[in-house]
Amino acid sequence: MKKRCLVLVTVDCLRADHVGFLGYRRPVTPTLDSLAAQSVVFEDAIVAGAPTYFSFPGIMASRHPLSLGRTVLGIAPQESTLATALHDSGYRTGAFVAGNPYLTARFGYDQGFDEFRDFMTAAAATELMPGAHVPLSKLNRWIDEVSHRNRVAGASYDELYFWYCQWRSSRQRVSLDGLRRYPAADVLVDHATDWMRGLGEEDFFLWIHLMDPHHPYYPPTDAMMAVGAPAVTAQRARFLNSFWNRGDIGPTRWQKYRDEILSLYDAGIYWVDKQIGRLIKILQSLGRWDETVFAVTADHGEEFLEHGVRYHSPVHLPEELIRVPLLIRAPGLGAAKIESVFSHIHLAPTLLDSVGAVVPPTFVGRSRWGEISAGQLSPETVVVECLDGCNNPFQVKDRIRPRLLAVRDREHMLTIRFGENRETFSSVKEGRENEASASAKKKYAQFVRRAGEHVKLATRNRRSQTAMRARIRELRYEGGSGIEMEIGPKTGG
Amino acid sequence: MAQYRTIQLPEYLCVRADAWLNGRFENLAELLNFLLEEIMSEDGAKLDQAEEDLVAQRLRDLGYL
Repeated sequence: MKKRCLVLVTVDCLRADHVGFLGYRRPVTPTLDSLAAQSVVFEDAIVAGAPTYFSFPGIMASRHPLSLGRTVLGIAPQESTLATALHDSGYRTGAFVAGNPYLTARFGYDQGFDEFRDFMTAAAATELMPGAHVPLSKLNRWIDEVSHRNRVAGASYDELYFWYCQWRSSRQRVSLDGLRRYPAADVLVDHATDWMRGLGEEDFFLWIHLMDPHHPYYPPTDAMMAVGAPAVTAQRARFLNSFWNRGDIGPTRWQKYRDEILSLYDAGIYWVDKQIGRLIKILQSLGRWDETVFAVTADHGEEFLEHGVRYHSPVHLPEELIRVPLLIRAPGLGAAKIESVFSHIHLAPTLLDSVGAVVPPTFVGRSRWGEISAGQLSPETVVVECLDGCNNPFQVKDRIRPRLLAVRDREHMLTIRFGENRETFSSVKEGRENEASASAKKKYAQFVRRAGEHVKLATRNRRSQTAMRARIRELRYEGGSGIEMEIGPKTGG
Repeated sequence: MAQYRTIQLPEYLCVRADAWLNGRFENLAELLNFLLEEIMSEDGAKLDQAEEDLVAQRLRDLGYL
């Protein structure tokens, strides 16, 4: 039997409730909506972790993010992944990642790929390094420090400084393209196309990771018009992003620009959707579409003040963050809607099964391909985890934090904040907390047991060889100044 | 007083390491000390244990343990 090709498109920050095929009313995803009509659509796909650096071990290696210990980030050296499994099966493998610093060779994501392009510029790569942010001038630092000894003076200084910066930047000529921190989706699709054209008839696995809906939100002007939002100038977009990014104010003030920010976000989604449409047309023109399994999902969602916060910080695990779109279109597979919860832990083994490849024994998840092919999925309880408040885990010392863990099924979710010894048990749909019914109490106990089993498993694996290799790899980058220390053997695809 | 253990390493590896050290570490022993300390660091493990204990207590409260 001829092998099938596999294309996996992951979209950063894409919320499930912002795609048309899962109910969003604004017309931002016409391509995906059309594709969904011929695909298996998962109405309740849940990530294994959030944000990106806690989500992708689940997507690529079918492993919970903290299961090798909390100091391990990314894919461990020699760890089996979707890419290594397909590479070992004779596939040509290519990855095109739109400049996300946590999805780079440093964190093992190049393993298994013949071609790995991360589109990281020097500027973007250093942005997350300690001390990388341009400091205030000495005078400004002094004023900042002195004024913040008094709450009112500090708030006044922050407000004045913000508007001063806006005035200064308004005098600069900028463009949306110039402001964008990540290559737009069309750039990634162009490069992926060149790669695919060079493959001839070879079987391939293509992974594209798109960042267009990720902040700062700078979509192309065409996308703004297409989603029915007024065209926003580059200056206005920069102002909106700057205001939205202010850490010195709160939801009451951010709220003023929420609708405009949402328009920018939706326009980013529209652009991704359009480029996915282009990718599909290219696959069709190459004669590969009818032999390709095509999957689209997201690593996590994004928040817009639903709970008083913005972006996708791992300070809690709300639906807006952990529930993501997922559709799989496969030749010969009819359209279906799967209502049951589906964890990303099962995505890699399921995709491997869909193309007839062997699932590595190290994968924690299992293939649900048989059930999916039959149009039904048995109910499941899933686990989502991250490190509480861990916004920048570039260095190991920043990962020594308590766990934030959620156990969820279709109806309920238990969230445990270990650092504060606090938990919440709530209904998923209504958000009602601490239900008192007998069945809810029974489920609560089941969820606590599941949480305990999960934490124990992580404890067991942190001294495994796989974990040790990852920790040694971290030491190559010790110091955070980019000094790469060649301690272990080089790993490769 | 600290006690020490003598180990043997292949000469070619030591020669490479000496060339590589280049100001990052005083000598090979210091490098190896650093590596072992880092690899065996149990900072994360303390949190793992605390979390396990917390859930175990919850299960006891529920009557499961």
